[in-house]
Amino acid sequence: MVVNLWLVFRVLVFPGFTSILFFTMFCDWVERKIEARMQNRVGPAFTGPAGILQPFADVVKLLTKEDIVPAGAKRTVFRFAPILSFSFVVFAFCFLPIDGAAVIPNSSFAGDLIFIMALITIANFFLFLSGWASANPYGEIGATRVLTQFLGYDIPLILLALTPAFIAGSLSISAIAANQYLPFALLAPWAFVLFIITLQAELEKDPFDIPHAESEVVGGLETEFCGGKLAFLRLTRDVQIVFGAALVVELFLGGPYGPVFFGLPQFWYFLWFVLKLLAVVVITEYVTCLFARLRIDQVLSANWKVLLPLSVLSLALTVAVATWIYPLMV
Amino acid sequence: MKILLETNKNAGIVALTGLDLGKTIGLMYHMYTNGVIVTVRTEVPKKKPKIQTITDLIPGAQFHEREVADLFGVIFEGHPNPARLVLPDDWPDNLYPLRKDAKIDEALAKNETAPSKAEPTPAQNEGDLVNIIIGPQHPALLEPEKFSLKVDGEIVKQVEPRIGYVHRGIEKAAEQRTYLQDVYLVERICGICNSCHAACFVETVEKILGVEVPLRAQYLRTIILELNRLHSHMLLLGHAGLEIGYETLFQYMWRDREPVMDLTELLTGNRVISSAMTVGGVRRDLQETDVPKIKTRMATLNKKMDFYHKLFENEPSLKMRTQNVGVLSKEDALKLCVVGPVARGSGVAIDVRKDEPYEAYGEIPFNMITRDEGDSWARLIVRLDEVNESINIIDYALDHMPSGPFRIKVPRVVTAGEAVNHVEAPRGELFYYVKSQGTAYPERVKVRTPTFANIPAFIKIAEGGNIADVPPSFVSLDPCFSCTDR
Repeated sequence: MVVNLWLVFRVLVFPGFTSILFFTMFCDWVERKIEARMQNRVGPAFTGPAGILQPFADVVKLLTKEDIVPAGAKRTVFRFAPILSFSFVVFAFCFLPIDGAAVIPNSSFAGDLIFIMALITIANFFLFLSGWASANPYGEIGATRVLTQFLGYDIPLILLALTPAFIAGSLSISAIAANQYLPFALLAPWAFVLFIITLQAELEKDPFDIPHAESEVVGGLETEFCGGKLAFLRLTRDVQIVFGAALVVELFLGGPYGPVFFGLPQFWYFLWFVLKLLAVVVITEYVTCLFARLRIDQVLSANWKVLLPLSVLSLALTVAVATWIYPLMV
Repeated sequence: MKILLETNKNAGIVALTGLDLGKTIGLMYHMYTNGVIVTVRTEVPKKKPKIQTITDLIPGAQFHEREVADLFGVIFEGHPNPARLVLPDDWPDNLYPLRKDAKIDEALAKNETAPSKAEPTPAQNEGDLVNIIIGPQHPALLEPEKFSLKVDGEIVKQVEPRIGYVHRGIEKAAEQRTYLQDVYLVERICGICNSCHAACFVETVEKILGVEVPLRAQYLRTIILELNRLHSHMLLLGHAGLEIGYETLFQYMWRDREPVMDLTELLTGNRVISSAMTVGGVRRDLQETDVPKIKTRMATLNKKMDFYHKLFENEPSLKMRTQNVGVLSKEDALKLCVVGPVARGSGVAIDVRKDEPYEAYGEIPFNMITRDEGDSWARLIVRLDEVNESINIIDYALDHMPSGPFRIKVPRVVTAGEAVNHVEAPRGELFYYVKSQGTAYPERVKVRTPTFANIPAFIKIAEGGNIADVPPSFVSLDPCFSCTDR
């Protein structure tokens, strides 16, 4: 019974659902603040100290709004796709070792890296479905753009995720994180840089935020959504961004592991995880502010003509230099 | 007209003015050739107002003819697309608002009670072509106007514009106000280039009156007009950033534009609608203490522009989105009679400030910026360079500011006569025609705004391009719809 309560606490409170949710909102605030300061703006400033509660207020506000399903929309899909998409990303989160162990203890298995990649793809697919079901031309164009983009960028992303898996000799994300006495970002910097770029495209951030080009497709797949469903779509996007950053931390920056000074190791692991994750968020946000949005054909050709060959090369390079990397790992 | 076009390949149409002459309707084709406006007059009977179209000679005349057909009921035979342009679809037939005998209130009251005409059926998708409608409400457009794009995949095949959503009947309203009131009325045609409208109008009236404005007033007007150009160009350059998803550029540019707005307020007392022009001069004099304030801010701005030059010339993602996008060749630019930075971006060297100097422009040295690329990027770079030129003009004008009165008294009643005038607004050549009957009220005020002349160019550059290229190529024309509709 005690064990079960502990499990429930882990899944629902810490480091599970509630923590992930609040941490996502915190990251959203950090992102907005960084972007605002880089663009010479103030950013959120009024809700809570330095506007830290603004993302929370936004979600609460959306939840209180009227929820309209447009006539002609596929009602069931329209209603459930945003929630399903959100759930899949949070579910994928449960396999990441956040405080030293996965959210559900002992849930990690030999191939969970592939499994969580699949979960993310499914989550993206539900996002596509939600736009497709909304019976709006802008929603449909936005949805097809999401589909084209993530289908393309999934391939280099997985290829690049294989680099740390190869060095660590395991497809289990916990094992990869635990094996990094030296972060893989230092051992294989080429894969790290490419992974961040690909992630930028996968997360639909500038210069790759084609599905959100409001001057072309209005709100993209969100166009017809309002109220709670829009809140879930927004949350999905934010959780995806945090998840992407978390993936970088686990695969390239040594996961939650770091020096433990005193007391509970869980506390220190969580702290290291948060700090590393924020560092990744700062990098992606910096890139976002630097560039203009590319065109869909430019984004796609950048993927197939540049990133895909480069990711294959990166994997080949890793294999070639592996004999020199292994001694560095101990 | 034909001879004019054949002898000078740079000739084009500026405007087509309709005029109610009682029994007949006068048509004035204002053509430009070598910087001079030549007006060709003709008349058609009001009972049977038919005339041959000139669109086969000048494709750029299409919109002008459609507008006159709307407002005066003149039928242009052989016009390729004689649909309504500025009036709403449910406007009663045979009611031509700019005819003097039009009983508008009566006809509109009747129209209210009559069953309204069915909304035009939304165009159906034809085969592989998908209809995408941009506007009247759309995030890419800050003002309401409608563009129907026929799209094959991601490629735009055909563009059909529909303007008139913000038609406020200003030309008609101007006939019912005095000349002094009209200065404030025309200023409200466009919030951004307001000083240019006011300046062009007062210059036209001064031409009819035959008065010479004091030199100091001319210099002050020049400074106000250049501040206007500065803020308009910087607004557009920032807005272009927004359209290509470059929010950082947008925020930076608009931050640096703020001092220009402050200076406009310092000089005229108003931040946006400056209300500085009046017939016979300007309304406020420049304080000697303000001169150093303006000069330091201009110097700071000049320094900051170096950063933007570097950015526009080196930033890869910005260049990927704007270079070779929306290319308008020099030949097309001439054929479609485009004006301003759009023409200069295609290598057509026209600038009213050089061609027919007004105010103090004849005495101030400055360069005319042209680029030969003809793409969206070139049009933005032209504006970026013109910002520097404007700063230099303001500096020069402040250094050489003559002393003397800044305003002279002019009679309220304007002698009978007529005049045309054009100035270089930020978006291009702005044209006014004013006719006076010897009263305090003008008989006719005709306004041809730069965007009205540039919309045919949008159709040209959008067709055959990518959908994603529509926003950047559109914004590079710096469209202003409240100008267009009047």
